[in-house]
Amino acid sequence: MNPVFKPGPRGTLTVRFPAIYAQLIAGLFGELISLLDDGEEPKAAAASTDPLAIELGLADLGLAELDPARPAPAAPEDPALARLLPDGYREDPAAAAEFRRYTEPELRAEKRRKAETVLDSLSRIPHGGKLTLTIEEAASWLTGLNDLRLVLGTRLGIVEDDQELEQSSDPDDPRNYLISVYYYLSYLQESLIGGLIKVEPPKE
Amino acid sequence: MSTDPAVLDRPEAVEDQSTDRPWTTVVWNDPINLMSYVAYVFQSYFGYSKEKAQKLMLDVHQAGRATVASGTREEMERDASAMHSYGLWATVQH
Repeated sequence: MNPVFKPGPRGTLTVRFPAIYAQLIAGLFGELISLLDDGEEPKAAAASTDPLAIELGLADLGLAELDPARPAPAAPEDPALARLLPDGYREDPAAAAEFRRYTEPELRAEKRRKAETVLDSLSRIPHGGKLTLTIEEAASWLTGLNDLRLVLGTRLGIVEDDQELEQSSDPDDPRNYLISVYYYLSYLQESLIGGLIKVEPPKE
Repeated sequence: MSTDPAVLDRPEAVEDQSTDRPWTTVVWNDPINLMSYVAYVFQSYFGYSKEKAQKLMLDVHQAGRATVASGTREEMERDASAMHSYGLWATVQH
């Protein structure tokens, strides 16, 4: 059964997933959320030690991340996470660090929210079947699927356009599975773009 | 009455070129993003026509990069950030 995103009633998009595919996708988005949480300072640790902040009762708001006295944040070491949270400046590490300081927390949070939106929608078809998405949910699916592809593609070592991903003859090679999943997600995303254009053509 | 000729002859202050040079947002090619997705993002976020979005996407694909916006530094940081939320890689340039 090839899932295809089709326009549904009242500006929705519908898609059918066999249970095993719905579970696969849900699992992937669960992993994405874990990845996005990885390396992020928990709010308690981010409590400010700035005396004025403490006095104003702002110490525990996690605003310490914005304290210029803190060391400049670096790009994540995990290449897949780094691809999700790229530098905003090239050849200017100071500007890139400042940009990251101010934008990374919200970028992580936004990607996490979208992954959770996808998971919430999938929970409506616990045994697979037809899923109807609002445009807002479909938009989260679109960027969410893209995030999954970025993570998988980075893990698979894709560095060139149209790079051939050869599956090895060893049936136990976990890479074969990742390659299949990557192609499946690409197919899904293409289909979703086609569906979105039909339902809500971008304004010209 | 005549105007003080010194006023008319006073030279204009030389404009500071660096503040006039616009900031831009550049999107860089990457091997994972689908061409259809990149074009969709350009239409959707910037409101570009299908033709312009296609052209910019092909510039990214073939030349390795495309300038997708210009304006103040703040505006370009906002656009680059938006591109990151879509999973494109963009940087602010000057």
